[in-house]
Amino acid sequence: MIVPFSHVLVLSGILFVLGVFCAVARRNLIMIILGIEIMLNAAAIAFIGASLRRQDLDGQTFVLFILAVAATEVSVGLAIIVYAFRRTGSFDPGNFNLMK
Amino acid sequence: MQMTGGHITVSIVTLATLAPFAAFLVILLFMRSRPRLSAGLSIGAVILSFACSVLLLILHRAGGEAVQYTSRWMVAGNIEVPFGYLIDPLSLLMLVIVATICLLVQVYSLGYMAGDPGFSRYYAFMSLFSWAMMSLTVSPTLFQLYIFWELVGLSSYLLIGFWYEKFSATQAGKKAFVMTRTGDTAFFIGLLLIFLHLGNIGILQLNGPEAKALSPNVITLAALLIFGGIVGKSAQFPLMTWLPDAMEGPTPVSALLHSATMVAAGVYLFARLFPFFSLSPTAMSIFLGIGTISMLLAATMAMVSRDIKKVWAYSTISQLGFMIMALGAGGYFAGVFHLTTHAGFKALLFLCSGVFIHHFHTNDIFELGGLGGRALKVPMICLAIAAAALSGIPPLSGYFSKEAIIGTLAALENPVWLAAGLAGIFLTAYYAFRVIFLLLLPKPGETAQAPPSPSPTHVSLDGGGNSEYRFMAWPLIVLAGVTVVLGLLENSLRDFLVGPHALGAVAGDEMHARAGYLALGLAASGVVLAWFEFGRHGSSRIGFVERIPVLARLFAERWYLDHFYRLLVGEVIDKGISYLCYKNDNKVIDGSIDALCAGTVEGGRITALLNSCMIQYRLLTIFAVLVFLALYFSF
Repeated sequence: MIVPFSHVLVLSGILFVLGVFCAVARRNLIMIILGIEIMLNAAAIAFIGASLRRQDLDGQTFVLFILAVAATEVSVGLAIIVYAFRRTGSFDPGNFNLMK
Repeated sequence: MQMTGGHITVSIVTLATLAPFAAFLVILLFMRSRPRLSAGLSIGAVILSFACSVLLLILHRAGGEAVQYTSRWMVAGNIEVPFGYLIDPLSLLMLVIVATICLLVQVYSLGYMAGDPGFSRYYAFMSLFSWAMMSLTVSPTLFQLYIFWELVGLSSYLLIGFWYEKFSATQAGKKAFVMTRTGDTAFFIGLLLIFLHLGNIGILQLNGPEAKALSPNVITLAALLIFGGIVGKSAQFPLMTWLPDAMEGPTPVSALLHSATMVAAGVYLFARLFPFFSLSPTAMSIFLGIGTISMLLAATMAMVSRDIKKVWAYSTISQLGFMIMALGAGGYFAGVFHLTTHAGFKALLFLCSGVFIHHFHTNDIFELGGLGGRALKVPMICLAIAAAALSGIPPLSGYFSKEAIIGTLAALENPVWLAAGLAGIFLTAYYAFRVIFLLLLPKPGETAQAPPSPSPTHVSLDGGGNSEYRFMAWPLIVLAGVTVVLGLLENSLRDFLVGPHALGAVAGDEMHARAGYLALGLAASGVVLAWFEFGRHGSSRIGFVERIPVLARLFAERWYLDHFYRLLVGEVIDKGISYLCYKNDNKVIDGSIDALCAGTVEGGRITALLNSCMIQYRLLTIFAVLVFLALYFSF
């Protein structure tokens, strides 16, 4: 493994923080979902790095599962967003306050 | 599971003790509105118990080893609380006494309580009472005994306050409950003390060699604390004042309470733990003193009371004092034998008085005599027999048991106890026959002032036709028979209880014989004095005590014990402890809870801000929490 493990972890950490920032700070539902995707991928990178370091396929298997979950999540999430946009006419989560 | 005896014994005991409980549950759940059925069920259950206990007595008539059967009931750590039965001569004897008296009293109640709106409830409580007392007698551990001890207290509370519409009855029930609870608290502390030092509280272990390993101070302290429970339950000095008030309940209840169940439980516990108590001579001499004080105090109270039931109530305290004296003086058999005979004649006294009260609707001895109480032949004869037994007149059971007690007291070195016992015998004979003469030989003048309404003398009193009266008369006759016969069984009972080889207190020595004659003479002179003052033609019908106003007042006010308690409760408890508790409750407990509530409300308001329908705030919180958790776990 050419890249040291610590670099991989730093990369995934930076990606994760970016994802958190995106999910928390942006006032747009699509961007929130994107942020969550980025966090998932950051975790996946950490898994792959760990799997290479330990010479073990379990981590890569796990990443396959993460990809599947991410795909499902995006499709369901986008469907919800489309529905929410039809009802309120905006992507701002602050406007979804019918239950308040 | 440990067992040293036949399966058959165990199943019989189970049947005997559980039958009344089953009756209690069934009556309470299904038969509140069917008085006849519930009475039948309750009496059936008691008959079953009675048959079982007699069968057991026959099976184990040889005495011998105690049969103990226990199974594990509760385990916590290395503490194990067993539950089961202990069958030995003492518990068998007591079981038979309890079953007999319960049966007779329940049959009697058919007549006494007829037409009462709470008939079913009455029988339900009676069954509960029988169950609790029978289970108490066969308890193998002090813990189980304590459970049933409290159940006995509860059911007597329910029965004393049975006529709850009457304010004084509820008050009396409450008083009985609170005063006995005071003693029970001491009992419980003593029980825990033993448990702490010995690791178990089985009665056999306590009486066996294991307890001797304890230090004498612990034994004395534990014995005194347990005796506190006995003082409360058996109405000894200073917790004696609840018993006379307990007369507010129906008379059959008093009969049951005073002879075989409630108050007898205390003396039974003493006899049960007799070997353990004997390990501490200090405690035993204190018990002896307390028994003597209660015996003399109660006897003086009985001399001036006008209420027939109260006279017998005081005499119960006095006789229980006798039993405690006998046990405290080391006379195991004398105490238990007096408990047995007393159960018979005291139940008889109460049941007879109940017939008078039921018939004439008054408790006053003078009025009862004036109304023609002697016209009721069966109860009058039975009452006379019972009073003679109470005073210790020869062929009756009381004579034999009192002689045994006097023999025990005479064996003591200090003659004070013997003198006190003899004085007690004189007073007993005096107050018992005071009642008899007042009922039997009323003054003509008193008959005139009687209210003419009930016209009692013309009711058919021979038992024919009147079923209520018949129900009440038969138990009287049975009990009178028991009272006459029981004394003759002294030697076989002694063999059964303490074994044929044991050396009894009655070893025909000179001292004992003289004490016996002296006791007999004093009893006779008590009767003569009573006749001279109350029975003789043209007698003044004023007792010698009543000629001394100070004493009469002191006795009638029960030595001002109640006043003392009222003062204690009013000044110390109400104004001192209760006031502090009240303040504590208001300021500390309520205050802190209020502050807590206000804090919670405020906190809720702050956290509610998070939930203002904005997912991102929640997300932010989740991440913040996760980050802090990660930091917490990694450092």
